This record gives sequence, C-alpha cells and structure tokens, in this order.
Amino acid sequence: MIQNTKNKLFVSLKIIIPLITVICLFLVGVNVGVITFEPPEKKSQGEISAQIEIKVDNQIIFSRELKLINATVLDFLLELEKLGDITITKTYWEQFESYVIDSITYKDKEYIADINHYWSYYINDESGLVGADQQIVKNNDKITWNYEEF
Amino acid sequence: MINKIIENKNKIMIAISLIAIGSIIRILFHSDLPAFKSAFITINGVTQPMFILDLFFIVAIFSIISGLVLGGYYAFIVPISIMIITDIAIGNNWILLFTWSGFAILGLVGFLLKSKRNLTYKNIPTFLGVGIVGILIYDLWTNFGTWLGGFGYAPNFTGLTQCYTMAIPFMLWHLLSTTIGLSIVLTTVIYIKEHRLKLPEVKETPFQNQMTYAIPIVLVLLALLSVLV
Repeated sequence: MIQNTKNKLFVSLKIIIPLITVICLFLVGVNVGVITFEPPEKKSQGEISAQIEIKVDNQIIFSRELKLINATVLDFLLELEKLGDITITKTYWEQFESYVIDSITYKDKEYIADINHYWSYYINDESGLVGADQQIVKNNDKITWNYEEF
Repeated sequence: MINKIIENKNKIMIAISLIAIGSIIRILFHSDLPAFKSAFITINGVTQPMFILDLFFIVAIFSIISGLVLGGYYAFIVPISIMIITDIAIGNNWILLFTWSGFAILGLVGFLLKSKRNLTYKNIPTFLGVGIVGILIYDLWTNFGTWLGGFGYAPNFTGLTQCYTMAIPFMLWHLLSTTIGLSIVLTTVIYIKEHRLKLPEVKETPFQNQMTYAIPIVLVLLALLSVLV
C-alpha cells in the first residue's frame, strides 16, 4: 500500500516538476522582458526616402527611389503598383499575421511564387526577419525584392 | 495462422484510420489557423508572436502513436503516407525530404519507446519526455534543412542562428501542442488497452526491425543529398 502510494507520488512528480519548471521559465521570461504581452511598437519615422529594387536571377530588373511617410516594406511595393511600375498579387496568412507576395508582374512578365520559387525581401542586403507589412523602413534604406529558387 | 491474419488486419485497419484522419485534418485546416496575439517573445533582437500555429502536432502524434502501438513498418508508413497525401493536396517543395525524414524519426522514437517500456500510465511521463526530445530533433533537423537550402538565410553561422531564431515560435508551439495532444491520446490508448479492448501486439521480424531503423536513416541521407545536388 505504502509502496503503491510512493510509486504514484513518484509518477506525479515526474509530471509536476517539468510543469513547474516551464511555469518558472515563463515567469522569468516575463520578468526579464523576453516575453511581453503587447505587440512590438511601430515607431513613427516621418517622411522616408528609400531605394527599392526588384531582382530576378540575381539581376536587377527594376530600381527606383521613393519617398513615403511612415511606411513598411510592403507599402513601398504597393506604391510601385500605384505608380504603375508593377502589378502584385498577395495573400494574407493569418497564422503569420503577414502578407506573402504571390507574384510580381513587370513589363507583362509575371514572376509567380510557385513550388520552385518564392519572393523574399532584403533590407540593406540583410534578409527580412518579419513579414513585409511588419518591417518599418528607415531613411536611406535599400529594399530588395528577390525572386528566389527553392 | 488465423489469429495472425486477424492481428495483421487489425494493424492495417488502425494504420489506414490514422492515415485517413491525419490527412483529412491536415488538408481541411492547414490554412485556417488563427494568429496568436496574446504574448510575444524577443530573442536576438527579433520580436515575434510566442507561438505560430500549425498542424505539426497531428502528424507528430500519429507518428509516435504508430511507432508505439503498431511498430515495425507502420512506424514510418503512417507518417510518410500522411505527408505524401497531404503534400500532393497542399503542395510542398524539396524541403519535404527533411519533413518526411523528421516524421519518420518521430515514428522511430515511438517504436524505440515501445521496445523499452510497456504502454502503461506510469510510463506516460517517460513517453512525453522522449517525445519532447523527438520534437526538438525534428525542429533542429528541418530548420537545418531550411538554412541549408538557402530560403533567404546567409550561408554562414549568423544565417543559421537567424534561421533557428525565426523558428522559435514554431518550436514552442510544436512542444506545447504535441505534449498536450500526446498526453490525451496516450491516456486514451492506455485506457482502451487496460479495459481489455484488443490492441495488436508488436511482433516484428528481424528484417522489419532493420527496416524501421533503415528507412529514417535513408530519408535523412536523401534529404542531405538533395541539398548537395
């Protein structure tokens, strides 16, 4: 009887101890600011000037300098569409809370993100770490949209 | 002889059910997952949602369960069949060799657990612990494949770190969802077993045993080879 209770306690501890560890790690994360409950602030940048280029097969097929107010990488791409330089199609992925570029059409040629290709952006030649609609552009940034192969 | 046929038939029926349920769930819900907006995590200067939801846990649970309950060939047939069927419907690219081999590894984890421990309540913490290690191996392996294949990451250590940083919300979700799901499924399976509802016994031939180890290894090598080619 006592042995049985001891065994049950031992099995329970095997579940309780990892649970307490996870809860403690979570609380420590909250305390040191690694875990937060507010989305990251999007600070106002005012009017910004940035160079935007589109690359296919590592060749620049289009480049232009634009000025926008408080804009994201996606806003810059949409501005190019407004100006009639390109046409884009995009899909909103709810689980990523972000837009993914499905295609960019330039000079009647459509570059589609398919099973072998995808559109990826770079800021000052550094790969984008968040969705294009989440990435705020700073003054004099260089935005590159690259049609890449898987 | 008849008993053996019935036992094999049971195994096939359970395997087909697991493949069908897993495939249907993954195809139906893969694009309807909500965004998690309640907590955010900042690592390496990148703030991301704490969890990015996907249906990894469905295939992961079925992989581990197929190894645990069915064993043998089924340890990799079930997860790989789910992935083949759903990838045909949803679409995938060459990374599939990394994901398929990752799930085959999870099936092997289940199979190894079954050969070491009995399917009882007191072993649930061990199953969950080893399952967590399996999930970590899966995430390390598939994200290594993501980095190796380019996907916008620089081909150096910084690129690899960046790739693993971006994968943290997925990994946290995989750990949370699979641990909870696996606890529920394991408790149910053990309840069924302890209430004398017949589950097939695992009796593999030496060849089946060798294949259970060989298939994940071959898939891992193929995945690496696909990147080199």
